[in-house]
Amino acid sequence: MLVLSRKMNQSLMIADDIEIIIVDIQKDQIKLGIKAPKDIPIVRKELYEAIKKSNISAVNKKDLPDLATIIQKNTTKK
Amino acid sequence: MAKIQTKNFGTIEIADTQRITFPEGILGFENEKEYYLIIKEDSPFLWLQSSKTESLAFILINPYLFIQDYKLEINHRDWDTIKIDPKEDDFLVFSIVTIPENPEQMTANLQGPIVINPKEKIGIQAISLNDEYSIRYPILDSLKKVLSPETK
Repeated sequence: MLVLSRKMNQSLMIADDIEIIIVDIQKDQIKLGIKAPKDIPIVRKELYEAIKKSNISAVNKKDLPDLATIIQKNTTKK
Repeated sequence: MAKIQTKNFGTIEIADTQRITFPEGILGFENEKEYYLIIKEDSPFLWLQSSKTESLAFILINPYLFIQDYKLEINHRDWDTIKIDPKEDDFLVFSIVTIPENPEQMTANLQGPIVINPKEKIGIQAISLNDEYSIRYPILDSLKKVLSPETK
């Protein structure tokens, strides 16, 4: 991994069309500005990981309950 | 027609037109690129069954059943992957449903929508650019409302 030091308002380029700018620095948080072409997907890693985790738990269950029955049960409960 | 092994319905015959290619796979299952979309009448749920792995099937639901103004905002590259111009073409949107130990706590993932081009049979799991949506949105209460007979 490449590690670079940057100060406030400094930036770095990735190839010739992506720029990452240090917009704000707080004690335990920095704000980044990203200039990139519209088709470059930019996503916080936690979100990416959370969706992956959710997908895995979505297929984890071995036997699916009879969904119609669950809904029916809950509907008639009212 | 194709004969496929399914997780929930045993061996079934299904029309070839239900076969959807996911060029990028689905997050966590990147090597699975081909699924069948199984539609069951009388059910709000659909199944996305891997064509090669019997045990891999996602349950899908139409998010507009419970969020009428669900705003699908995804990256240009995602639209390109499924060859859709969102202003011109028809497309399908689904949420993956998770059913935990207590099935009454079932949730839908609104943050990672499945978007399908029904004409070209290409699908993608996009990551919503609008991150106000929940990954685990509880759906049972809304489903009850939608599905309960109007006479009640």
